[in-house]
Amino acid sequence: MSHYEASIREPLILGDKSYHDITEDIAKPIEGKANKNWHMAFYISLAAMLWGFGCIFYTVGTGIGVWGLNKNIGWAWDITNFVWWVGIGHAGTLISAVLLLFRQKWRMAINRSAEAMTIFAVFQAGLFPIIHMGRPWNAYWVLPIPNQFGSLWVNFNSPLLWDVFAISTYLSVSLVFWWTGLLPDFAMIRDRAVKPFQKKIYSLLSFGWSGRAKDWQRFEEVSLVLAGLATPLVLSVHTIVSMDFATSINPGWHSTIFPPYFVAGAIFSGFAMVQTLLGIMRKVTNMEDYITRMHIEYMNIVIILTGGIVAVAYATEFFIAWYTGSPYENYTYLSVGAATGPYSWAFWSLMIFNIMIPQLLWIKKFRRSFIVSFIISIAINIGMWFERFDIIAIVLSKGHLPSTWGRFEPTFVDVGIFIGTIGFFFVLFLLYARTFPVIAQAEVKTILKSSGEFYKKRSEQGIPTKPAINVAGIKVKIDKSDKKDIE
Amino acid sequence: MGSSKVIHAFYNDDEVLLDAVKTVKAAHHHIEEVFCPFPVHGLDKAMGLAPTRIAITAFMYGITGLSVAIWMTNYMMIQDWPQDIGGKPSFSWLENMPAFVPIMFELTVFFAAHLMVITFYMRSKIWPFKKAENPDPRTTDDHFLMEIHVHNNEEELTALLAKTGAVEINVVEKH
Amino acid sequence: MASDKKYWQSVEELTNSSFVETLSKNEFIEEIPTDKFLGNKETLSNSSTSRRDFLKYVGFTTAAATLAACEGPVRKSIPYVVKPNDIIAGVADWYATSMADGYDFANILVKTREGRPIQIMPNKDANGTTSARVQAAILSLYDEKLRLKEPVKDGKNISWIEADKEIGAALKKLKDSNSPVVLLTGTMASPSTDKIIQEFIGQYPNVKHVIYDAVSESATTDAMMMMYGKRALPNYDLDKAKIIVSFGADFLGDFHGGFEKQYVAGRKPETGSMSYHVQFESNMSLTGANADKRIVTKPSDQIFALVNLFNAITDSNVASKATPVDAQVKQMASELKKAGSKGVVLTGINDKNAQLVALAINKALNSEIIDVNNTLNIRQGNDAAVNQFVTDLKAGKIRGLLTYNVNPLYSFTNSADFAEGLKKVSLSVALSTENNETVDASNYVLPTSHFLESWGDTQFNEVTYGLMQPTIQPLFNTRQFQDTLLTWSGNSSKYYDYLKSFATDAILGEDSWNTALHNGFFNKENTSVAVSSEISIVDVAMQLSSSAKKSNGFELNLYTKINLGDGKQANNPWLQEFPDPITRASWDNYLTMSIVDAKELGFTNPVKDNGAIDGDYAKVSLNGKEIIVPVMIQPGQARGSVGLALGFGRTFGLKDEMQVGVNAYPLYKNSNNIQFGVTIEKVAGTHKFACTQVQKTIAGRHDILKVASLKEYKTVAPKDHHNGWNKPSYVSYDHKEVEANTIDLWDEHNRELGHHFNLSIDLTSCTGCGACIVACHAENNVPVVGKNEVRVGRDMHWLRIDRYYSSEVETREDAKELGLSRAKTYKALETEAENPEVTFQPMMCQHCNHAPCETVCPVAATTHGRQGQNQMTYNRCVGTRYCANNCPYRVRRFNWFNYSNNSEFDFNMNNEYGKMVLNPDVVVRSRGVMEKCSMCIQMTQATILKAKKEGRAVNTDEFETACSSACTTGALVFGDVNNKQDKVTALAKDKRAYNVLDYLQTKPNVVYQVKIKNKNEA
Repeated sequence: MSHYEASIREPLILGDKSYHDITEDIAKPIEGKANKNWHMAFYISLAAMLWGFGCIFYTVGTGIGVWGLNKNIGWAWDITNFVWWVGIGHAGTLISAVLLLFRQKWRMAINRSAEAMTIFAVFQAGLFPIIHMGRPWNAYWVLPIPNQFGSLWVNFNSPLLWDVFAISTYLSVSLVFWWTGLLPDFAMIRDRAVKPFQKKIYSLLSFGWSGRAKDWQRFEEVSLVLAGLATPLVLSVHTIVSMDFATSINPGWHSTIFPPYFVAGAIFSGFAMVQTLLGIMRKVTNMEDYITRMHIEYMNIVIILTGGIVAVAYATEFFIAWYTGSPYENYTYLSVGAATGPYSWAFWSLMIFNIMIPQLLWIKKFRRSFIVSFIISIAINIGMWFERFDIIAIVLSKGHLPSTWGRFEPTFVDVGIFIGTIGFFFVLFLLYARTFPVIAQAEVKTILKSSGEFYKKRSEQGIPTKPAINVAGIKVKIDKSDKKDIE
Repeated sequence: MGSSKVIHAFYNDDEVLLDAVKTVKAAHHHIEEVFCPFPVHGLDKAMGLAPTRIAITAFMYGITGLSVAIWMTNYMMIQDWPQDIGGKPSFSWLENMPAFVPIMFELTVFFAAHLMVITFYMRSKIWPFKKAENPDPRTTDDHFLMEIHVHNNEEELTALLAKTGAVEINVVEKH
Repeated sequence: MASDKKYWQSVEELTNSSFVETLSKNEFIEEIPTDKFLGNKETLSNSSTSRRDFLKYVGFTTAAATLAACEGPVRKSIPYVVKPNDIIAGVADWYATSMADGYDFANILVKTREGRPIQIMPNKDANGTTSARVQAAILSLYDEKLRLKEPVKDGKNISWIEADKEIGAALKKLKDSNSPVVLLTGTMASPSTDKIIQEFIGQYPNVKHVIYDAVSESATTDAMMMMYGKRALPNYDLDKAKIIVSFGADFLGDFHGGFEKQYVAGRKPETGSMSYHVQFESNMSLTGANADKRIVTKPSDQIFALVNLFNAITDSNVASKATPVDAQVKQMASELKKAGSKGVVLTGINDKNAQLVALAINKALNSEIIDVNNTLNIRQGNDAAVNQFVTDLKAGKIRGLLTYNVNPLYSFTNSADFAEGLKKVSLSVALSTENNETVDASNYVLPTSHFLESWGDTQFNEVTYGLMQPTIQPLFNTRQFQDTLLTWSGNSSKYYDYLKSFATDAILGEDSWNTALHNGFFNKENTSVAVSSEISIVDVAMQLSSSAKKSNGFELNLYTKINLGDGKQANNPWLQEFPDPITRASWDNYLTMSIVDAKELGFTNPVKDNGAIDGDYAKVSLNGKEIIVPVMIQPGQARGSVGLALGFGRTFGLKDEMQVGVNAYPLYKNSNNIQFGVTIEKVAGTHKFACTQVQKTIAGRHDILKVASLKEYKTVAPKDHHNGWNKPSYVSYDHKEVEANTIDLWDEHNRELGHHFNLSIDLTSCTGCGACIVACHAENNVPVVGKNEVRVGRDMHWLRIDRYYSSEVETREDAKELGLSRAKTYKALETEAENPEVTFQPMMCQHCNHAPCETVCPVAATTHGRQGQNQMTYNRCVGTRYCANNCPYRVRRFNWFNYSNNSEFDFNMNNEYGKMVLNPDVVVRSRGVMEKCSMCIQMTQATILKAKKEGRAVNTDEFETACSSACTTGALVFGDVNNKQDKVTALAKDKRAYNVLDYLQTKPNVVYQVKIKNKNEA
């Protein structure tokens, strides 16, 4: 029987739902009015975003000097934020691609939003490499395009250039993956839409999707192949980001375990951010029936796993720094020097937020609690920010030559830009939550019978999922124009 | 001209639809098209649709991307303007190759993904401002629609379809 | 060429159908009556121009204007209409001349471009040397803020003729009434000027010439007068010395103008012998930092120690007191005796008796290091005369006062008395190059020319007669002091002719004036021979030891800094931004205090979160005079003593940014650099220091800066596995230990072709004087960023000199033996010792052949040159700063803001005069790009081009960089390693040669030579 699933598995869709109910639920937030929480959240984010843009204009107009950087510490909050956002941008594609390959049905409720988050996060990330330049108006010089100087090309040896390719590929592929998945759902909205303007918009967005059998066949194939491509891609992105550090020669950066450890960290922070967002979204778009404790728990399990990997990586780094016995390794971001030095506060925040707090998730009660996992997810977001800050600021503050040891103190501009990107991110996400089908309804419908609470109950009682056919209630309609042919 | 006339049979359950398709096929009727709100597994086989070859195109696009990357790195770093960058061997692509691996990988994926999706859009005729062709709005919500050409055999078909559990059957002029 | 072809727009036109006609009608192809309304007024008024025509014009002109505006701003360069002789645009001219500003004296070469002097270099033929101040003097020429531009009477401009008439009359009146007039000048060391002054005094017998040095060495000249009957400073040929014992004489600083060249000449380890230098001092001076042995001794103890040494050497027993350093003194005595004539004793104590005792000791040793015949004339000030003058002035005895380039109102201890007296004179004339308090207080202000605009001669020792020639037309309406005096004494000849005839008659003899002028100097044989007169030194020594009363309270040791000296160039941004070699603090002077005293009195130097250092304020009071000054805790400062630099705290006329530090002259009682009984108390407030280096020790990373003793150097193999003193880093390759720099990931580029530049830096010869830093500033248009930016670690110096103090615990091994925990070990390694040894390390771009910065630049803006330079392409740089982060030497500098034409950075790059000093061969970097040492590629290229033009190969050792040519001691040697004859080729392979951080295998083109210290081991 096609729709059978072990009854011990908890349902992923709660309540007595028909296909049409799902349609209704998904369409409601788009067709309905926004509630007060949404408005409040939106305007706060908007204010933050505008403030951030102000700071960016100030920087570009005056010079990077308005940040707290100096001759010894050339990066700090800028690249910290960049890596942080890129990391967050990992969960989405991972959920929709890797979990699809592993045929994890629970992904369907969350992949849409996770991917949206990915794309919006990568937007934020993409900002920083551009605005952190001394001359951002020349940013296009990092593209391998012909120019007035003839043979003046980019440097393919540079990890920063690898970043350019990795980030742009990742962003565009995620976007396409996401959009293709959206087509049938946009079509659904389009066909329900009553307001002509709405209908216009959504028929434009849906690219005229009609849902032919052949389209679906291709659709599934494309999703599968894209997933197959996106999986190594998502791993490559943070690998390459980590190479910004790993291929350099600074003690504490020059470390071969960076790629796997960064990827784990990225998934760690990405899932944490998904938790945070779902915690909010369940409420603002009342999707409680689709985002269940089950989903939260599954994700927490992933968080425990990746968090464990990160913890092991930290331990290794700390051990190696000690084990080399090289005086140049005394002050790497994971070392006695860091733990006792001027940046000990950053060191310990990292330890507490990233290593200690997540351990609470070993307790099932916490793992399945919405509020607890929401709080822990926030903690992890903070912890992961500190990880990147420590890697960059602590390492740069203690260079090879003691005469170049320095410190970094952020200015209001540093802070403003960071807050601004957070605002920008939520502005995008909140708009998305009101205008996009936040759950891949077409996909969810395919698992309704197998994982829907209602159907599971029935199948336990041995009632088949296939409804009985009654020929009576059928209506037959024949065009007037063809009447004569029947005579 | 009866050939322009089609019969639309509506179903509201995927499993019923699947059986219906099988019965109609068994009765040697040509199913013009089936519109679904979500993918129904095994439908393409039941309808006897040929398997899609889109994955193969993706592979070929990937190869293209890889070759472009190799050509680009070689042309820009080795041929056109070799520079001494950190003492790296700009005189030999092979020796300098490890530094280009990330680029090669990314371009492979880039080409494969995007060109494949574009191919999909073109073949399935979906792009911005394209008009939707599903005959009934319900087919994106919870109804499945089977479209069969009529050759002066409405009654027979209607009867057959009615048996298969269609919830609604319309015979319409197709333009 | 005309063509009669006709083109139809359409078939209809050919067949000219009516429809085309109508079309052509509808189109307004009628001609617009331009001239009608663009003509004169009345035609305009009655023209048939329609509103539409007008609008068309407006439209057109607007469009045209807009298009024109799309062009970038263009800076026109005006060509010479008439090409001046011997100026080829783009080719530098060098003039040999001399600098004599009253404090700094040097035989120099001046580089001029298109008639603008842009750089000062030492005139090595005259074996001249340049200090940071001499190098920076070029910028003071263009100081339009401070320089006087017009003759002024009581605040109103007047013409020179007027001024001469009026002043002449006034002088006449004073002469007739025979009322005393004083001509107050600094030391000029100019024979011709002395003669002119004599003639002037001949004309006006009532005029008295008083020479006044703001920072006086009168005690020494007096001592010389007593003992050798000659008011001059003794010379020291330290290169011949075996042992140098100095009591607070900063002879690598400003003591007698500095002796670093001779000093280093006597300390070349490869010759197998080095002088043994012992320094008894209270402040941590540059000299003490370079000493083989530095014995911390507070001033009073220095005096007794000197007397004790005198006793020990001359076997006399003058009453003295025991000092904590007697043991070392005894040892030194025996050492000196052993060395005999090869030993020398110097003292910086500005006390006649102390100087006499020192002279006596040298006499007793019959030291041939001290030279009392070829003496130095660079400090001719006479304290007694000056004091007499001030008393007279105050008493109103003096009726007229002429001052030349002195600023008593700023630099007199009792400047109040001077001010009071100045009010009483009937005629006060200030002849001065720069504006200052004294100038402001005089009735007549006569602007004199800068030495780079002047003729002149100098005689700062007995054998070298230096000539001074103008390198540029006077920038302002100025006249030379000498011309003025000649005019006043009714001599009609110009000073140039006067000088020429004087020189030819008195000095040159047979030799040609032109040759001498071309060379900038003339070596004459020494005529003056000192006649030693017998004086009872024992009495002197007695006076000395009794004079030094063990006073309670602190002992203040006033000193001059490398950058500002006596404060003449306080408005020079290069010098203000120049970090002190010892404290690495710029834009400040401060009270240096020992770690122990600071702890007791509760003074701290906390490091803030932005990496800057703060300080507390102290109230320093000395019999009634009080000043508030920030405290800098100074390792190696003698307990119970404090140091304070003169020359700061000038405010009058200076740019706000330059008004830094405090004026210490009020405490400079009877021009004695040592003051007893100073009381110090902590007062409220926090001072913001601007230090370019925060971490003081090398934190156990000793492979960065290698030091060995002379004995080790001679006896131990450098790469010896156990106690080698120049061990390279090893890596395991194929399970074998091999030198790191012998293995490579890839095939190496061919570096044998053409030139390949290397720079060798000898840490033994580098005294840390920093002349190279200013030379680099001038050569490469390095911007000045100001105190606040330096404070937060944004100084732009391409070349810096790192200073490391030793710590009590030097290595992890030591720490292990002491059983310290990890955290404690790091703390111990990071904390400087109370009396540390000091090492200097010039650090600039290492031009690595495997440069980490190059690989990471996404746009290939920094790549490697064929000649070994790591090249920075400014206009390609997008400013990701990745290169700086990946540079293990942290030598890359980022343009955080626009530093030129920016009122926020109102230094020389923000005004038209200041910009005249810019080197046209080097681009001024824009905001947002990275910059760094270029190995003076513009200089090496110029050398190559010169050789090419002359159709020859580049000569051996012809290549130079700004730093290498400015280096007095020859510590920096630049050259082409592909030329086997170049000095640097051998140095690069020397057994002392090493690369900093060689374990990274960056393969730098800058080579360091291990620092060798003479530990005086048998």
